[in-house]
Amino acid sequence: MKMRRRARRTQMIATLWSIVIALFMLAPLYWLVTTSFKTPSEIGASPPTVVPNPVSLHNYARAFTYYHFQVYMRNSVIVSVGATILVLALGSMAGYSLGRLPVRGKHSILVALLMISVFPEIAVISPLFMLMRTLGWLNSYQALIIPYTAFNLPFAIWILRNYFLVIPREMEEVARIDGASALRTLVQIILPQATPGLFTAGVFTFTAAWTEFLMALTFNSSPEFRTIPVGIALFGAQFVIPYGTIFAASTAAVVPIGILVLVFRRSVVSGLTQGAVKG
Amino acid sequence: MGTPKLLEPQLTNPSPRPEKRSPGLSRRLARQGWAFALPALVMIAAITIFPILYSVIVSLNHITFTSQGYHFQWVGLHNYSVIFSNPLYRYSLIFTVIYTIVTVFVELVVGLLIALVLDKLIAGRGLMLAVLLLPWSLITVISAEMWNYIYNGVYGVLNALLIGIGILHTPVVWLGKPFIAIVSMMFADIWKTTPFVAIILLAGLQMIPHELYEAAEMDGASGSARFWRITFPLLRPTIALSVLFRVLQAFGIFDLPFVLTQGGPGHATESLALLGWQVMFQDLNMGRGAAIAASTTLIVLGASLLVLRAFRAQVGEEDLG
Repeated sequence: MKMRRRARRTQMIATLWSIVIALFMLAPLYWLVTTSFKTPSEIGASPPTVVPNPVSLHNYARAFTYYHFQVYMRNSVIVSVGATILVLALGSMAGYSLGRLPVRGKHSILVALLMISVFPEIAVISPLFMLMRTLGWLNSYQALIIPYTAFNLPFAIWILRNYFLVIPREMEEVARIDGASALRTLVQIILPQATPGLFTAGVFTFTAAWTEFLMALTFNSSPEFRTIPVGIALFGAQFVIPYGTIFAASTAAVVPIGILVLVFRRSVVSGLTQGAVKG
Repeated sequence: MGTPKLLEPQLTNPSPRPEKRSPGLSRRLARQGWAFALPALVMIAAITIFPILYSVIVSLNHITFTSQGYHFQWVGLHNYSVIFSNPLYRYSLIFTVIYTIVTVFVELVVGLLIALVLDKLIAGRGLMLAVLLLPWSLITVISAEMWNYIYNGVYGVLNALLIGIGILHTPVVWLGKPFIAIVSMMFADIWKTTPFVAIILLAGLQMIPHELYEAAEMDGASGSARFWRITFPLLRPTIALSVLFRVLQAFGIFDLPFVLTQGGPGHATESLALLGWQVMFQDLNMGRGAAIAASTTLIVLGASLLVLRAFRAQVGEEDLG
């Protein structure tokens, strides 16, 4: 009886604290989204209003017709989808090889992959810029797709390899006896059993590419090739920061990725925690 | 140097049956293995390893842009001696180190508290995880613009809120003075990245067997004793890993100061990455910028080895005890 009462009290305290935490996390986002529906005069009002009145789509119209934010969205989609597809294709092949095939030195390769993911982006930005300029790739999609692929491959290879390791060997052997090639075995036998791993690697790559700023700013700064973060950061290049436009564009950019992350919540959490708790 | 235990790959194959293969098949499979791994490995090497090595060469030269390419002029360690004696570089280095230590420490404490709350929570834990994932997945540039508006000295909501509940009497220009701007930037960073720490630590907490707590409770251990004797030691590997991730990120911070403060007021929030980028792409001094980047990389590597070493030593002690 006493135990149960104490458990109920613990639950109540935990729930109350959770509400506080949720408010702290959500309040700034609420401000971001509601401000995007305010008129310019209401955005500059002091004291600020809690609920937009009237609800205005002015900022959205301005973001999409005057600033052509849809171009940045298209660029972000092309770059993120391109990198995600490449990471999944190359990552599952490499993950299969390093997890399942008798490759000599795979231990060192796996450790090297971990070390590489430790290097800060700023370390490679000047030589990559010089390389891209020499190749004539500045302001192009490949200028971002290829680096995003390379930077996200190590994590994807690790995640996928961990999934491949636990698939029973018998299935591969049957396929081999039937004369299936390694590629066919991978695509038809292995990958279908590792779909959670594919989701995790895919969602992580997509999110990383969607949010990346440093390389996008450095390699693709011309208006036709800007991605969402670069577009939003450079909205306010003049003296006045057009908050309304920025927040309308931000809301449009946040909603798709927010939905993606919420739908694939499990994959994301498992991806975040995989390395952390398995050591 | 051995592999840090924390990151040791699982090399044991869980598949129960040992393999029996003919040498010919084995060789064929090894060849296929390389063919499968090579495209990914070549790409990674071309975009990460090669540029890292190349940037060391760049940092030892003075680079001039020509219409066809680049003109390299060997200057030895000149770029390094220039940056090390430059007051802005020194300030930026100190700022970045302090910024990293403070934000990572606060995130660790707050993240741990959040994880402890969620660990106790039964109903609504999934919902809370969803809430935590939102700031994590937010584009940093957007988060920076958002905080810029919240901190606005004239019509920002933070001033209105604090004046409304009587904490402040006059509005504060949050990004106007060095110290307050630094604290404001730290707060924005902590808001966005604490969820990451909390999610990782929550996963770590859930790995701790419940029996340990039950046994401790029967022995009459108090709440704080249970935390320091059971939770904290068993969570240490997870803590080490999340600290490592965060140190790496915080030390390379670029997006947040670029948008929120442009490194200002003055150069108060000028991080090493921001300084390096400005030297490379605004002053177009690739050699000197590469020197800044290389020094940043070395410090980051040193710091991560330190985190791993500290953690490993403690594991060693426990193994003996």
